[in-house]
Amino acid sequence: MTNDIAISVRDLGKRYLRGSSTKHNSIRDVVQDKLTTLLTLGLKRKKKDYFWALSEATFDIRKGENVGIIGLNGAGKSTLLKVLSRIVTPTSGEARINGRLGALLEVGTGFHGELTGRENTFLYGSILGMTRAEVEQKFDAIVEFAEIKEFIDTPVKRYSSGMYVRLAFSVAAHLDPDILLLDEVLAVGDAAFQRKCMSFARSLQQKGSTILFVSHNMFSIKTMCQRVIYLKKGKVVFDGPTDEGLRMYENDSRLKETYWFHRDDGEPPITFTDAVIESSGGVNTGVVEHGEPVTFRMRYKTSRRIEKPEVRLSIDRQDDMHVMTFSNTLEGLDLPYLEGEGELVVTAPPLTLTSDFFLANVAVRENRHGKLLVAQIVGHFHVRHPNYSSTAYGVLHEMGKWSHTPAAVAAEPVLAAATPTKAAS
Amino acid sequence: MNAAVEKAVANVHRTEQVVIRPGKGIFDLELGLIWRYRELMFTLMLRDIQVLYKQAALGVAWAVIQPVFAVVVFTVVFGNFAKMPSDGIPYPVFAFAAVLPWTYFAEATRRAATGLVDDAELVRKVYFPRLVIPLAKVAAPLLDFAIAFCVLLILMAFYGIMPSFKLLAIIPLILVASLLALSIGMWLGPINVRFRDVKHTIPFLLQIGMYASPIVYPLSQVPVEWKALYSLNPMVGVIEGFRWAVFDRGNPDFAALGIGLGVIVVMLAAGLVYFKKQERTFADVI
Repeated sequence: MTNDIAISVRDLGKRYLRGSSTKHNSIRDVVQDKLTTLLTLGLKRKKKDYFWALSEATFDIRKGENVGIIGLNGAGKSTLLKVLSRIVTPTSGEARINGRLGALLEVGTGFHGELTGRENTFLYGSILGMTRAEVEQKFDAIVEFAEIKEFIDTPVKRYSSGMYVRLAFSVAAHLDPDILLLDEVLAVGDAAFQRKCMSFARSLQQKGSTILFVSHNMFSIKTMCQRVIYLKKGKVVFDGPTDEGLRMYENDSRLKETYWFHRDDGEPPITFTDAVIESSGGVNTGVVEHGEPVTFRMRYKTSRRIEKPEVRLSIDRQDDMHVMTFSNTLEGLDLPYLEGEGELVVTAPPLTLTSDFFLANVAVRENRHGKLLVAQIVGHFHVRHPNYSSTAYGVLHEMGKWSHTPAAVAAEPVLAAATPTKAAS
Repeated sequence: MNAAVEKAVANVHRTEQVVIRPGKGIFDLELGLIWRYRELMFTLMLRDIQVLYKQAALGVAWAVIQPVFAVVVFTVVFGNFAKMPSDGIPYPVFAFAAVLPWTYFAEATRRAATGLVDDAELVRKVYFPRLVIPLAKVAAPLLDFAIAFCVLLILMAFYGIMPSFKLLAIIPLILVASLLALSIGMWLGPINVRFRDVKHTIPFLLQIGMYASPIVYPLSQVPVEWKALYSLNPMVGVIEGFRWAVFDRGNPDFAALGIGLGVIVVMLAAGLVYFKKQERTFADVI
């Protein structure tokens, strides 16, 4: 192993027993299970059902490299980080870590509600691997970064969730590791704090830290990483330049369930089997001009009758900002039910978005605002605005009606009306 | 051999290198890691102490109320009604000298056994040698012990019992009690990770343990032929030692203490191996 390698992973794998952690939580369950096996003479014994959450992962990460780990739900991203941070033991293979490693799999793990901000700073610091002296030395910087100076001696259970997250992230940010493992933690707090976190991550980058970064937010991945590792069902399917990896991921993620949707059991009763985004030039090639009408066509299939469905089509900007939602119930299409197969079409008015990258999701609820049945990704598209090419100009560009009245004409009547009342009092 | 060489090289270069592999040898106990994580252990202990009496109106007074209440009940029931002999010592002090180490031991055992699950979030999301948790849990109630000890001193003064230098023996004795709590915690803790039944079992195990220790009655009441078996309970030696240290009478029961220590050493060594072996799957099943 050469000296400039920070993480070296060879054939790393982690196997889990499916359902084992939830089923046997009391001895009674086990006894019951064993008895059934015994009474049925072993005929009913369940075969052990293993699955590989991560398998045959092999890669090297050089010192100072920033690598994004992408993949759909359950692709093994978090498992990889957990193995690398030594929380779980791998089933096969080997990983070597060179340097001090800090892992942030969740912001604020170990915070105790009854303790004050100050006490928690020390507690969390040492949980993350800092020494007491180190926390003491960085204490002022931590409090300042978190912007909670006046509440530092208040128990954190009285904090707002924003304050809580800010303090936790601030402690973590001052960990100063050689290698940092981040799992979705940048997606916390308000927009201003997120910007602060991003710039902090960039400063870590400049200091030459190695960062391994799991996120669903392609925007953060794009700004932070030159390289991505794309995991699919526990296997590394792509390892290379970010643009190429993201393109592959976007193609694969079309029609996939969104990351925030968790099905309880089995197949959802309704799924979308095909979807296209059309703009004026026909089937969309990925670019929509500013102010152009867009049509979303979505083919569905149901396994049972869906009563009074509410279908929502939502558009998110790549930094996870939720831009707009179209809803059939609010927009005049009352569907008594959906059954079998069919196509839903939403024609959006000219979208006045500024240049950026957007993601369209579709979600179906039953009985108006009832249970969420499915949430899938419809597709991605770029919007091209002739002038406004960054988020600095905002989300939308609407045409305002402007007029101008020179001061000489406008000023006098206003002042004249104001003066007498003042004089009277 | 490779690992040893790598360690040496890493030390020379003052950089950390960690190798992550599926299995470790069963005697690879990584005790050095515990030392490296001593600050975390200390902080977790401090947290437990800080948290325990927060938002309790009586606060730290609870450390005193619990043992005092037990002694009052014992004095009324066993001292007055049942006329339990107490080797000529006033019954309240006699009972208190035993309730003191027992309360500590019971609390330390309970916390050491349930600690991993109580800190499940940490186990799931943060790496550290898991042994740090039972160690911290066993250490935290020592503060309560120290506070209750002051009550013992007051009680002794009230009954005109002069403390002698033998009182210092309490320090090694309470350490023996904490080692016992730790060794039980190292066994029950990992089981509790898998089966939450442990949490419900502990109270009555401790109840049985209390009557199997010379707390409400003196050791002299135990039939001679049962004494060897009885002394397998390491708390017998500890409690008799406490009484010896407090009342400055006779000799400590070295036989009982010796048997008890032997039991602890075996449980501790085996518990350590067991704990390290189970540790690898904690995050998967907790």
